[in-house]
Amino acid sequence: MEKAIINKNNVKRIGKGNQAILFAHGYGCDQNMWRFITPAFEEDYDIVLFDHVGSGNSNESHYDYQKYNSLNGYAEDVISLIENLELEKVIFVGHSVSSIIGLLAATQRPDLFKSMIMIGPSPCYINDEEYFGGFSKSDIDELIETLESNYLGWSSFITPIIVGNPDKPEFSKELHNSFCNMNPDIAKHFAKVTFLGDNRLDLNKMSIPGLVIQCHPDTISPVKVGKYVYNNLQNGEYMLLEASGHCPHLTAPEKTIAAIKSYLKS
Amino acid sequence: MEQRNYTEHTEDLYQNAPFGYLTILVTGEIININNTLLNWLDFERDETLKNIIFQDLLGVGEKIFFESRVMPLLQMQGEVSEINLELKGKGTVRFPALINFKKIQRDPTDALVYRISVLDITQRKNFEKELIKARKEAEENANRLKQINVDLERFAYIASHDLKAPLNTIESIVALIKDENLVEPNGDRDELFSLITVNTNRMKMMINDLLEYSSIEDNSSKFEPIHLNEICLEALGTLDEAVRKNQAIFNIPELPEVAGIKIQLERLFQNLFSNAIKYRSEADPIVTVSWEKTDTYYTFRIKDNGMGIEQKEQNKIFGFMERLNTSKTISGTGIGLSSCKRIVEAHGGTIGVTSAPGKGSTFYFTLPIKR
Repeated sequence: MEKAIINKNNVKRIGKGNQAILFAHGYGCDQNMWRFITPAFEEDYDIVLFDHVGSGNSNESHYDYQKYNSLNGYAEDVISLIENLELEKVIFVGHSVSSIIGLLAATQRPDLFKSMIMIGPSPCYINDEEYFGGFSKSDIDELIETLESNYLGWSSFITPIIVGNPDKPEFSKELHNSFCNMNPDIAKHFAKVTFLGDNRLDLNKMSIPGLVIQCHPDTISPVKVGKYVYNNLQNGEYMLLEASGHCPHLTAPEKTIAAIKSYLKS
Repeated sequence: MEQRNYTEHTEDLYQNAPFGYLTILVTGEIININNTLLNWLDFERDETLKNIIFQDLLGVGEKIFFESRVMPLLQMQGEVSEINLELKGKGTVRFPALINFKKIQRDPTDALVYRISVLDITQRKNFEKELIKARKEAEENANRLKQINVDLERFAYIASHDLKAPLNTIESIVALIKDENLVEPNGDRDELFSLITVNTNRMKMMINDLLEYSSIEDNSSKFEPIHLNEICLEALGTLDEAVRKNQAIFNIPELPEVAGIKIQLERLFQNLFSNAIKYRSEADPIVTVSWEKTDTYYTFRIKDNGMGIEQKEQNKIFGFMERLNTSKTISGTGIGLSSCKRIVEAHGGTIGVTSAPGKGSTFYFTLPIKR
């Protein structure tokens, strides 16, 4: 069973400590995005890395469109991963959509988690009356349309597809390897589930302590959204990083590490 | 004509270059942008730009890509080039752009900025779309052809399989008629019944060959290690009668182990051995197997002293149901060698022949060295 889950979610386990810390990547990425963060935790933690089914090097054959039609499908995977690896009182670090996945898992099974660290969370990307999510419905429709019309999917952002630059193939290879490349159909489906979802009412259902790590400006999960998440958590804390962008774990790893460590200390 | 002077002004070059330029802070705040790019985006310099950061020029997908890939790479490498993103301008203005980014920090006390160059690639994109469409069509056609082939093979298999049963019945009835002495021996009727038997046998042979041909699959996942000497022995076992009747001599050296499907490789040797006997010359058949290896594959040769094949006919013999005029008197279906070709190809090799009339033939084929 353990082997099956390792294959399904491409699970990697490193570190010398006993306290389990689970890192979950965001949309369109994979576990490689934690590579600047994990070294700082190797000494004291039992680090578990994985790829969501359909992302990175997970086993794509497990991608069930029905199951992953809501973030609850991914939350189920997180729970079964923790159970199969027999982890206890896990510290969950989720980026973007994975912070909501973590929240859903911890709401269902609070006994499995110690705390929830959410980097750039957003419970709902689309503006709704009073609520500011940062995007209009048409922005999201445009994204889905781009993914739909793109025969080559995500990778087509990197230009040398056909007309490109054959004498410099290592460049796009680096973009592909250092990050990842999704199956276009899955990318589209996951995008729909992520960006059209609305989990605002789930925020206050989680009983374990949670931390929101927010950057400014973050054009995907803006400050207003991070504050909204914080305000709706039962037991939440909020840290504004002195960093911009949506991926501080990639662009400002030291600050991200410091924020996580100071929260875990307290 | 009057000669005129031209002096290049750097500011004018920046503003009106046939290229878009902008400079942003780490936060995405735009601190400089040239007129060319403003025109492309259909923005007014003053009012609009105060309220816009670089990420506002991107759609949602582009934003995620920019944040999770471009920015980290830019920090790591100092520059990122040839990124293809669609830029959003005023209203519905959209254009595909090829973008280069460069990190600039002249002095550690200076603010870190990113210089960005933008090339409008609408035309290239259209061209690319056509290429992608053509490729997609080609792929779809290839897949359809593959499917048609699979269906045809299944049809051939089912048809030949189902034809076998009534044929067996006819054969039994003819045998029964003879056994029960229902026809007078050596009479006209007996001769007609013999013709029925001969033709039933021919049909049976043909059906068996068809069945054999259509059941060759291209499936390397079923490969197992195969001792070719065992295969040769099995093949000769099935030809026992012909070998004895023709007093054929087979010289088979120690052969290597290969990866393959046993039953198919058995058929391959069986067909080649049987041809060496069937298409014999006056002399008693002598068949010699030899082999050699290169880094990646083995070459096997099966040499006979048979009737040989004319140069111009040599290409034809591997064709499906192709038979040579010279061999019309020898019974056969024209499927054996095309089966051999399929088997060898399904194993990742190639097959061929060297021959001359009256000088025998050497059939050779390659098989990859198993890893």
